[in-house]
Amino acid sequence: MSAAAVGPLPGQAPSVGAPPVGAPPLVFDHVSHWYGDVVAVNDVSATVEPGITGLLGPNGAGKSTLLQMAAGLIAPSSGGVRVFGESPVERPAIFRRVALVPEREALPGMLSARAFVEARATLLGLRDVRGAAARALALVELDLVADRKVQGFSKGMRQRTKLAAALVHEPQLVLLDEPFNGLDPRQRLQMMRLLEARAAAGTAVLLSSHILEEIEGVASRILVVLAGRLAASGDHRTLRRLMTDRPHTVRLRASDNRALAARLVAHPVVIGVEVDAHDLTVRTTDFTAFSRLVLRAAQGHGAHAPALTLYEVQPTDESLEHVFAYLVER
Amino acid sequence: MTLSASPPASPGPPAFGPIAPLATARVLTRLAWARTGSPALIAGIAALMLVPMLFALVFASRGILSGDPVAFLANRYDQLIGGLATPLIALLLGTSAFSAETDDGTLLYLVTTTTPRWWIVAVRVLFASALTGVLSALAVWGTGVIAAGTSDPEGITTAYTVAVFYGGVTYAALFTALALLTRRALVSGLVYVLFWEGTLSTTFPALHFLSVRAWMQAVAHSLTEAAGDAVGAAVGPSAPYALVASVVLVLVTVYIGGRRLHRPRIARVGT
Repeated sequence: MSAAAVGPLPGQAPSVGAPPVGAPPLVFDHVSHWYGDVVAVNDVSATVEPGITGLLGPNGAGKSTLLQMAAGLIAPSSGGVRVFGESPVERPAIFRRVALVPEREALPGMLSARAFVEARATLLGLRDVRGAAARALALVELDLVADRKVQGFSKGMRQRTKLAAALVHEPQLVLLDEPFNGLDPRQRLQMMRLLEARAAAGTAVLLSSHILEEIEGVASRILVVLAGRLAASGDHRTLRRLMTDRPHTVRLRASDNRALAARLVAHPVVIGVEVDAHDLTVRTTDFTAFSRLVLRAAQGHGAHAPALTLYEVQPTDESLEHVFAYLVER
Repeated sequence: MTLSASPPASPGPPAFGPIAPLATARVLTRLAWARTGSPALIAGIAALMLVPMLFALVFASRGILSGDPVAFLANRYDQLIGGLATPLIALLLGTSAFSAETDDGTLLYLVTTTTPRWWIVAVRVLFASALTGVLSALAVWGTGVIAAGTSDPEGITTAYTVAVFYGGVTYAALFTALALLTRRALVSGLVYVLFWEGTLSTTFPALHFLSVRAWMQAVAHSLTEAAGDAVGAAVGPSAPYALVASVVLVLVTVYIGGRRLHRPRIARVGT
């Protein structure tokens, strides 16, 4: 058995190596990963800098695979991943600087939160196990219930226990898979503030979510993935604009669908109108302008026509999948 | 309870030291026990240990009518403990922790640390081995004391105490490897014990060389002739072969398991 192949002997400090000075916390370089015939990640290139980066995509988009590759738990099928300039694959020493918070809530239920966080601190080789665990538990405000068994914890408390276990060694790169799941709005806000505080201290945070609203307020940069591909990236304003400035389809129902159709069709932002027995389907290039237009049209402004009653205004392609599909097709 | 936006004052980043073998072993054992020590599992293990003792109780209650205690003990030790209790206890203890951690994803909390992967596996093998070995040896000793008092005729109890301890360690290593390498470790282990060792190995003597039970019999036979007489072992591995095979199995488990933990088979991390 080669010790070099499986890691250093207990009693020896694992070698961290000498990462290149100033290397970014995480780089995906044309990285792909496939499970058999299924392509989970397809030629993704991105750099994660200190600060908070969001990884946005629908379920099954490849977010978890990217996070696992960043932690070195999955080797890329092609391309490369660099964590602080080094490949993370088969290199446990990177976990001195990296933490991964999985989505799943499961924790060793028989253990107290303190015992669990201390277990992590021990396995990470921290000198002051108790002190580090106490600080991490206080950070997530679990210190008062830290001696209770985890199996009695709520979803939110479990999320915070996971976070305390991840932050116990104050890593410089934190990978979080759907960290807001199970949190109520107030806890979500507090979690965001906590991550912002870590980011302000120079930590790089990469967090995944399938809900734009969850991460647009906290992530300074967002990577959008769909079907394993990087569909778009930028700050939340850029993505919002991309998502808003696209053709929308809206279904309307009014007291006189034909009359409303006639008033809308003349406007340049309307590129298609279809009237059937029950409702009216309109395609528009500018959803914001159309929202104002439909109100004016219903009120009869400009045409000095009688006001119409709107019963229903329903965007039909607002799902995240539609938005992502549009971004990919661009 | 809310998360704090302003963390308490920290004295600076925590300092790292060397990985402490004893402290990490204690933590890994505690985590293993947290996944293993369920009432159902403890009841199952207790039942496996009690069955041969019940037979011994019946044997002892019939006094001189029961016949030769050596033949009785050799038969029960080989079939009920060596052939059933030891492999099943090893299967339960060897697979429960890693299998449960793989299924619910908590294995991630072990493999995202700086503790060497081979050490994680070694501690888990040690945990399952020591428990299986001690419990099997206790079952042998208890059965012997009930059936024949402390006389230990022809050294049969001593020989099997050593043999099942050896068997417990070997089986535990084998089943720990199964837990890391297969999705259905429990079923695979049962197939090995019941089909490979229970049927194939008894039909084809050459397979004794790949049977932990046969290795265990070889160890017992090397310590007392009574063991060989009782089970009728004519063709099979020698005790030195068994010892070397066991050492190789433990080392291969630690090595392959350690490699496996670099890229763990986790059921699902997220969506």
